Amino acid sequence: MVKTADKLEEEIRAIFSGDTPWVTIVWDDPVNLQTYVVYVFMELFGYSKARATELMLQVHNDGKAIVSTGSREEMEHDVARLHEYGLWATLQRGDQL
Amino acid sequence: MTTTEGFKRHGDHSYVAQFADSEKEVLLNLCEQIIELLAERTDHGHEDPLAAMVGITSHDSPPEDDVLHRLLPNAYADSVDASEFRRYTESTLRTKKQAHAISMRIHLKTADDGIVDLDHANANAWLGAINDIRLALGVRLKVGENSNEHLELLAPEDPLRGVYAVYTWLGWLQETLLSALIDDADEDEESQLGNS
Repeated sequence: MVKTADKLEEEIRAIFSGDTPWVTIVWDDPVNLQTYVVYVFMELFGYSKARATELMLQVHNDGKAIVSTGSREEMEHDVARLHEYGLWATLQRGDQL
Repeated sequence: MTTTEGFKRHGDHSYVAQFADSEKEVLLNLCEQIIELLAERTDHGHEDPLAAMVGITSHDSPPEDDVLHRLLPNAYADSVDASEFRRYTESTLRTKKQAHAISMRIHLKTADDGIVDLDHANANAWLGAINDIRLALGVRLKVGENSNEHLELLAPEDPLRGVYAVYTWLGWLQETLLSALIDDADEDEESQLGNS
């Protein structure tokens, strides 16, 4: 019972504080080189080469990958930086995936 | 003068390439085209200079031109959100992309003996500029995910054949710069691990 109440309270708090996590999605693109996509992930997000490669392969194989999670403002910032380097990125609410 | 061997790493965080005059001309020409293309999108007849000053533009719909649309894509699937975001951010994005191409142009124009020597930040600008050029050419060439047979089989007299050759060459050039940069990043990561 306590757990349920806590969870409910947490959800209500999330709704009113606008804390719902947002995500940045990178979509597959026929032009961008795989090495370039890996490098951009390393450079913009500070990911290791292994992590960046994993994400690049996910974009390549599944058509898209979530590359970062956070507030809406943070994700807008990430999308803008990805667009600056020519990656095809969008953001959306994490609960609407 | 022989054709370029691409970028190589020289010492710490320095990336060097030497270009033949003809290669320099091709790259300069492409830089200028990207700068112009982005300038075409610049806002005309701004009513509010203050809005312009803080980067708010009159554009809230995506560019009709396919190339510009690829360079300045929507940030949201939802069109209302996408318009709102575009109004506040597109002019900044255009300026940043132009700055990458302008930086590449300056290096090429001032290259002694065709030698270009980039630090890390300049290398990133070059990567962004080369990528924008490849995106633009890729849209025009209709580069696809799997098969590019329509490009491989172009007749020798087809002007697109030359464009495709440049597109492929730019991919190779970008790759040489990337491998020099990623080698560096790897070493940095290893030395950090060594220090911990």
